Amino acid sequence: MSAVLAEKLRALQQQAGKATPLPNPSPTRGGGSPPSPQPPQVPENIRRLLGLRTRSLSVVPAPRAHDRHLPGDEIAPGLRYLESRHDGPPLPASIDARFARDFTDIARDDVLCFDTETTGLAGGTGTRAFMIGAADLVDGQLRIRQLLTTTLAAEQAMLETFARWLSPATVLVSYNGRSYDAPLLKARYRLARLPCPVTPLAHLDLLHPSRRRWRGRWENCRLATIERQVLGVMREDDLPGSEAPRAWRDYLGGGPATDLRRVLAHNHTDVRSLASLLTHLTQVHAPAPPL
Amino acid sequence: MPPQALARRDAQALALEPGQPADAPLAPRVRDPRQLAQRLRGKYSDRVTGHFVMPAREGRYAPLPEALPPGLATALRSRGIERLYSHQAEAWDAAQAGENLVVVTPTASGKSLCYTLPVAAAAMQAQAKALFLFPTKALAQDQVAELLELNRAGNLGLRCHTFDGDTPGDARQAIRLHADLVVSNPDMLHQAILPHHTKWAQFFENLRYVVIDEVHTYRGVFGSHLANVLRRLQRVCAFYGAKPQFILCSATIGNPKAHAEALVEAPVTAITESGAPVGEKHLLLWNPPVVNPDLGLRASARSQSNRIARLAIRAGLKTLVFAQSRTMVEVLTKYLKDVFDHDPRKPPRIRAYRGGYLPNERREAERAMRAGHVDGIVSTSALELGVDIGALDVVVLNGYPGSVAATWQRVGRAGRRQQPSLGVLVASSDPLDQYLVRHPGFFEAANPEHARIAPDQPLILLDHLRCAAFELPFLRGERYGPMDPAPWLDVLAETGVLHAEGQRWDWIADSYPANAVSLRSVADGNFVVVDRTDGAQKIIAEVDYSAAALTLYEGAIHMVQSVPFQVERLDWEGRKAYVTRTHVDYYTDAIDYTRLKVLEQFDGVRAGEGSARHGEVHVVRRVPGYKKIRYYTHENIGYGPVNLPDQEMHTTAAWWQLAQDTLERAFASRQDALDGFLGAAHALHLVATVAVMAEARDLRQAVGSGDGAWFAQADGRGRGQLRGTDGQPGHPDAAERFTPTVYLYDNYPGGIGLSEPLWRRQAELVQRARELVSACDCRAGCPACVGPILAGDEDKAEGTPKALAAKVLALLGEQT
Repeated sequence: MSAVLAEKLRALQQQAGKATPLPNPSPTRGGGSPPSPQPPQVPENIRRLLGLRTRSLSVVPAPRAHDRHLPGDEIAPGLRYLESRHDGPPLPASIDARFARDFTDIARDDVLCFDTETTGLAGGTGTRAFMIGAADLVDGQLRIRQLLTTTLAAEQAMLETFARWLSPATVLVSYNGRSYDAPLLKARYRLARLPCPVTPLAHLDLLHPSRRRWRGRWENCRLATIERQVLGVMREDDLPGSEAPRAWRDYLGGGPATDLRRVLAHNHTDVRSLASLLTHLTQVHAPAPPL
Repeated sequence: MPPQALARRDAQALALEPGQPADAPLAPRVRDPRQLAQRLRGKYSDRVTGHFVMPAREGRYAPLPEALPPGLATALRSRGIERLYSHQAEAWDAAQAGENLVVVTPTASGKSLCYTLPVAAAAMQAQAKALFLFPTKALAQDQVAELLELNRAGNLGLRCHTFDGDTPGDARQAIRLHADLVVSNPDMLHQAILPHHTKWAQFFENLRYVVIDEVHTYRGVFGSHLANVLRRLQRVCAFYGAKPQFILCSATIGNPKAHAEALVEAPVTAITESGAPVGEKHLLLWNPPVVNPDLGLRASARSQSNRIARLAIRAGLKTLVFAQSRTMVEVLTKYLKDVFDHDPRKPPRIRAYRGGYLPNERREAERAMRAGHVDGIVSTSALELGVDIGALDVVVLNGYPGSVAATWQRVGRAGRRQQPSLGVLVASSDPLDQYLVRHPGFFEAANPEHARIAPDQPLILLDHLRCAAFELPFLRGERYGPMDPAPWLDVLAETGVLHAEGQRWDWIADSYPANAVSLRSVADGNFVVVDRTDGAQKIIAEVDYSAAALTLYEGAIHMVQSVPFQVERLDWEGRKAYVTRTHVDYYTDAIDYTRLKVLEQFDGVRAGEGSARHGEVHVVRRVPGYKKIRYYTHENIGYGPVNLPDQEMHTTAAWWQLAQDTLERAFASRQDALDGFLGAAHALHLVATVAVMAEARDLRQAVGSGDGAWFAQADGRGRGQLRGTDGQPGHPDAAERFTPTVYLYDNYPGGIGLSEPLWRRQAELVQRARELVSACDCRAGCPACVGPILAGDEDKAEGTPKALAAKVLALLGEQT
């Protein structure tokens, strides 16, 4: 039924001169409709307008990819959890954060670096986070935790889990998170009808101090650039952040997990670099050395 | 406000005195528009084709409601409002009873208090919020002025803010959180507010009223979009547990309650009796005199409007002239200034008012008008709605503004403060104008136009389902408006923008669908017109995809605000037409080889000796070339070729058909019958456009065979030329079967809901078309009835295009 509707709509869109008509369904995005007792009916007037006629359809099942493996444990239906420990950065118990406006000293153990991976940059309520990574210091080590949703329904559990990682004393550390990640999460908590745990917290966004320090020195002030130039981190086989939405959608539609694993690695590097960058900014009081 | 038609075409009152100078003063300073009306009728009896009087009416009042918060009552009293008009009190009662309501009252009847009182009271007593939607930004500014004044006068402390494209970013957050009343427009709601509704959570949680003004403007495509935006709004409100009441306002239309209910998809109480006192209103219909009887040419509307305005201003009457374009405003202003403002030492008596002026220029003009310093104003529709310019005596409409409702609304600008007033509608040469001015019965507003929308138009619906899914996931079983959107959502899921999982569909694409949906078109294939005159690159117009092939072919003369441009290059894929300014003395008319094929018939009835049906059709339009037509004489001075792909669409149509044997009995030849059908199509299109309040380009006509085997257009000889599906000319006698059919079809893929109402009213339309043809002043046919005809047909004794069309319409009509 909906294939006939789709075909009709495509024709109408073309006739209306729509520049980008409905694309043809991609074989990896079969999705699978929710089960329903009866096939849905197009209302009579629309059916007539579209000239829909009952026609039997041969439904071609979407081919399933073989490599669907994802690391970590499933801690709730559709929600995967990954944790790793690394040597802790040399941060004092009390961090001098005066390099950022509105901050003085913050307790090392209250710091939580975080970064989200989202379905796009369009903004608005239709953009969601499908992955949250966080780094904090536990027993002198850097603990990196990641949450990954593999179903839409798992978002609720992800948001609840992330909320449990936060306490009223938590100081969030991010890169451009004040403008991007935090408002996005706020919208997601609102849509999930959950209280937003992010809004009340202190939030140290390293983008602005980094810009002040390194503006004009390199081609841009993106985290990856700062990372390479300042921290000497070289990413291998890094999936560009802009590819993340596609990687997740492909997996969601039954595609392979290959690129989604690369998104996990990318996000892991991001939060780890956040901790390093924080350390660097607290250590470097003098202007950065000349190149 | 049904006016009483006192007199129609009673041209015997006062004969034009021979030898009288054309512009002799009618009287020194009559100062009463009624006298001017009488004198105009007397002196120009051959031009005044109708005269309507709406009698003065006493006001009906009601005390201020007891439940009004004391602060609000005090504020009203401090502004001199001790009691309400009856319709304001009715609106208050309906709002307090929790009903949705639509207030239909004329200009200057205190309509804004109908929504101001409930909204302000709820904000003061319950911290309830309200959203105001106005179709344009300028109107929003003017209409909330009253509320702001009330707020100031009573120190009510209401926070009322405008949220539109000009609202600075840093103010937006404060407005979302703290405003009691947010004033915006449908486009902002669609593109900025709903897709970010979580930022507006507090606002939506407390949203009690949604006020929508000027709902008569939300019809056709725009109205169909708005209905979907309101579906989305109600969906978002439901998410926040709110169920706001709707307060709608409309100018007079034939179906306010039905139209309001179609927009909000809930029961709506209609308040249609105004309690405001009105002065006596006169409306004259004015047809410019025939200046060339051979060609049937009339004097220009401009010259007549200028003359009437001059007479009115000389008579000491404050006069407003409405012109259809900015250029015309400037031309008429110049003419009047030449007469009244030749002394530069005196302050100007004539002012122009239009869009395109700077806001402070406009405000200054408004102040001067309110203060009574201006005797004559020439304006575009910018003044039509709301803007307060003080008392006026006379309104002159230079051309029919497109609907009876808009006519009354403009005429309503005169006669504030219960003084008598006069409106004069001057017809242009446009066939629609000519039709209306010759059929004054239309203005007996017992039957004003119906506003129609088609919210389930497939492409519009699909666009808004995308937007709605972006805003909130759809749950299985959830309804969208009255429908189950499941099959549509499955279509979107198949294309990867939604993901279906469990019992719901979620948006997963990386895009912001509202940005791709314009509320004023179907799909987003609009062409832009780029002016390259003098090496510049300036976008001067936008043209619907469906109209592009007919108006933007290379060589076409494209008029923008009455200024001619020539299309030099058409970039079909890039959706751009490059034009330059030109000064040619002709315009162009596309040769339109449209053929239709009926795909499915939905319903049918007998129509006279034939049948009328409606259903789905397949339209193929080919534009093989264009004609160059000289201004004024309308002679064909050449052809140009057009090389464009065929345009195809599936849409809905209403059609009329006569059987072959009926035609063979009634007509001497098939050719005559075909010519009759072409003329009948022209007449039916004209009356149908008026009846369903459609833009002429939204509804089109065609004549073809019922089985799609051939179609026909008038050729250069003024005869119907039959063509086969290959576009090759043929002869009607050669056709195997001969069942000519008149089609009126929606000019949008998927239709826009015009055809079904046309089919339902088919008998009335045929009757109106018969009256149109029989009452037309022409002898053999003209553009105002059966379409342009050739000089050769003027002298025919019988079988004129007019007579042939009348015969077809008679066969389709009720036998009398």
